This record gives sequence, C-alpha cells and structure tokens, in this order.
Amino acid sequence: MTTGRPPQIVAFGGGGFSMEAGNPLLDDYVLSLAERERPKVCFVPTASGDADHYVVRFYRTFSTRCETSHVSLFRRDRGDGAVEGDLEAHLLQQDIVYVGGGSVVSLLGAWRAHGLDRVLRAAWRRGVVLCGLSAGSLCWFQEAVTAFHGAPTVVRGLGLLPHSNCVHYDGEPERREEYRRFVGDGVTAGYAADDGAALHFVGRALHRVVSSRPRARAFRVEPRDGDVVEEPLPVSYLGDPRLDLAVA
Amino acid sequence: MTVREQLRGDPQILAMGGGGFTMELDNPALDDFVLSLVRVPEPRILFLPTASGDPTAQITAFYARYARRASATHLSLFRRHGSARSLADIVLEQDVIYVGGGSLRNLLAIWRAHELDQLLIEAWRRGIVLAGLSAGAMCWFAGGVTRSGGPLEVIRGLGLLPGSFSVHADGEPERLPVWLAAVRSGELPGGWAADDGVGLLFHGTRMTRVVSSRPGTAALRVDAVGEELVRHRIEPELLGSSPSLAARPVPDDVRELRELRAAMRLR
Repeated sequence: MTTGRPPQIVAFGGGGFSMEAGNPLLDDYVLSLAERERPKVCFVPTASGDADHYVVRFYRTFSTRCETSHVSLFRRDRGDGAVEGDLEAHLLQQDIVYVGGGSVVSLLGAWRAHGLDRVLRAAWRRGVVLCGLSAGSLCWFQEAVTAFHGAPTVVRGLGLLPHSNCVHYDGEPERREEYRRFVGDGVTAGYAADDGAALHFVGRALHRVVSSRPRARAFRVEPRDGDVVEEPLPVSYLGDPRLDLAVA
Repeated sequence: MTVREQLRGDPQILAMGGGGFTMELDNPALDDFVLSLVRVPEPRILFLPTASGDPTAQITAFYARYARRASATHLSLFRRHGSARSLADIVLEQDVIYVGGGSLRNLLAIWRAHELDQLLIEAWRRGIVLAGLSAGAMCWFAGGVTRSGGPLEVIRGLGLLPGSFSVHADGEPERLPVWLAAVRSGELPGGWAADDGVGLLFHGTRMTRVVSSRPGTAALRVDAVGEELVRHRIEPELLGSSPSLAARPVPDDVRELRELRAAMRLR
C-alpha cells in the first residue's frame, strides 16, 4: 500500500491544539496535507509521559473531523482506549502521525525501547505525514537543542531530516544564543522556529514555512566565514491575509 | 563531608512486590519503614514516577504520604521544572530515592536516555537508600517479568542486586508461572517473588530482612537446581500494629483491572 504522497514532516516551533487553544491554523494546515475528507490521525504523546489531559485535548480537537487514535507506551497493559496489538501496522495506515510536546530525551529513549523509531521512519517513507511541536518537532532532526534539565544541550534525534532544529525560538532567549553557539561549535546547520511557526519539509528539504501568528518567524542558522549567520526565512501566515505583517 | 553524608550507611535497597503510598492509601506501614532506614533527622526523599509517565495521581499520593514525614520532592522526566539544577545535583543530595511502578521497559530506557541509571548506581554506592515497588523494585535486579509491551515477558534490570525479582505474586497470580518458567529455563537467575505489601531489604547485595504491611502475605525464594525448581517460602515480619487497616481490600480501580484481566484470560 502506498499513500501516493512524498515523505513530509511539519515541525512546529510551538503551537497547534496543545499551545494555541482557539487557533486551529497550524493543525488545519497539517490536515490539508492528507488530501482526504476524513484523514486518519494518530496522536503519540510519549514526550509528556502519555499525560491523560493531553490525550483528551487531542480527541476534543480532532475527533469530529478525523479518524482519531492514540498510542500509549506507558499503559500497554491496559485497555484504556489506546491502540492495542500491532503498533506498526496501525501507524503505517495513518495519514498523519501527530507527536506531542514534552521531553525529547524521554521520547527518544522510550521510542527506541519499543522500536517506534524504526516504525516512524517507515511511515515517513511511505508518505504518512509526520508532525509535532516542541519535542515532537525536535525528534525528526539529526540534532536538536533541548533545555529540559539545566542548560541547553544538543541531542541526537531520529535523523530523518539531516539538519539541526531549535524550537520556541522567540519564547526562550537563552536557547537562541546557545543554538547559535552550538552551530558555531560544529553542530549541523539547521532551522529555528518561533512559537506559531512551522517548518514544512518535503523529503529532506525545506518546502515552505507557515505560521498561525502574523509575527512568527523562522530562520536558517548556519556557519559562514567563521561566523554563525541567522537568516530569516519567508513565512506564509495562514490566517486573514490583511493581518500578514511579516517582514518583507 | 557533610553531616548528612556522614550519617549514610551501607548501600540499601528496599524492593517491594507492591504496596506503599501508591497502592495502600490507608496503610503507611511500608512508607514509615522506608524512612526508618535512614539516620538523618529530617530525611530528604525524592520520588521518581518515570515508569508511569509522571502521572499527577501518583505524585499527589506521594506528597500526601511523605510531605509531613520528610522533605519530599519529585523528579519529572517529562515536564519541565524551570530549574537549572543538574540531575546529578538533585539526585545525590537525597537520603532516599523512591521509584514508582509502571512500565519497566520505559523506566530503564528513559533513565538511560537521561543517564540517570548511572547516577542512581552512584547514589546507591554512596548509601542513599533506594526503594520502590513493582517496576521500581524489579529494576534493581538482574531481571524480572513485565507487562511493558502488553503481554507478560522477561526483562533485564540494572543488575545491582543478584538474582531476579517477581512482583504482585498474590495480586497478579498470572505473573508467577511466567517467572518460574524463566528461572527453570535459565533465562532468568533464581530469585524472589513477593506478594503485594511485602518488601525485601538488601544491605549491599545481601538480603537481610523481609517485611510486610499486610498479614497473610509472604515472599518466595526460588532456585533452579538441575531441571527442578527449589522453592522456599519466607514469612515476613509484620510491620505496624493496625491489622484491621492492613487487611483492607485493594483499591477499587486496581480490583477492577484485575477482574478485567482475569476475565480476559478466561475468554
């Protein structure tokens, strides 16, 4: 079975149902990529420890217009509504896999222990759209900046995208400084996104940047001539075009 | 060396088959026993709810039980603290580290991803008491039996303690045959099974006491000798003096889950 879609990832700097109640723009954008009336969307809340309230919010947001499900890696022994049995078969059938925020280090540890890293790579190749915010953005990249315990550090992600990634770029100033320093010290060049900005990759290349907030920005960050350059990327605001105040 | 560090003793681990604040809402016997293992007057106890994904219910139950008895904090590996302190600073200043139940596979994988397994081994070496139930008990041994992937399966632990450990021997009786078969086949080394409410105390790697919060419970020592299993029942010391409380039934949700599982097995 093939979806007919190329591999795609939409990596949010922050935003979507878990951060922007009442602003469905980023989530709507992801749903549009499925090109189906009622897409199958599976939520993977591993990075939050499968937090109940988070799972509930996912269903509230999507269940009226999508075929919804979620994967729990913490309650595999209980019939609490999560996908049971063959996770791989289930995930490969989805149109969209939506990964929630939390700790990217915990997410990667748990995924590897359950073989989900391999399954999601296969799903991506098959054209299942992968998306997520925060930890659910960082995980797809080769390297990612996380600031969970103590100072920001770099972790190795799944490497589907051969770049680095930094999220919440506007929200947490020390991440911005540290990310630029990391890239200067040899971390893979990559992309930074503000809350409300989403990086849409087709294959391994950045296709476009969209946003749910008129002022949200994204940057290419790379070393150049012994310095680190932060280059603003064109951002398409997904809401009312009259509010699009993006820097020309 | 601080006074706190001077008062630390030999490495100690309390491994519980079940019980304590997450399972025995009205019976603090095991939690009081945990605190009796340290000599410092105002002990610091850190709760690690990693194996269940840091659920709020476990965390609040922890504070309800320990906040008046000790300086109690918890460490989340899923939610941010807003603290710039390193995991090493947080872990190594404790007197007791208490590990909750849940998925053993997730617990070990996530600890390793954060390099917390190495810190906990260091804490143990320094005499910080390690305690836990279910996944939080099996993790210290060579291995045990888990439901982390759904069905029961054998899993390796950190191996601080020699032998294997099987939990909820009375509450989830379907575990025992899986464990016994693994010991018989040599997949797991010999070891102990413990009922809910039963705790095994180790000084260094030697088991020194078996205690219980509930009358009528026991621990079981099992070794494979040739093709045969040699079993030895161990009667625990009964803690506390409120047998009426200790004999209370298990919480409704736990009971319902067990009934559901029993029904599924019969299907």
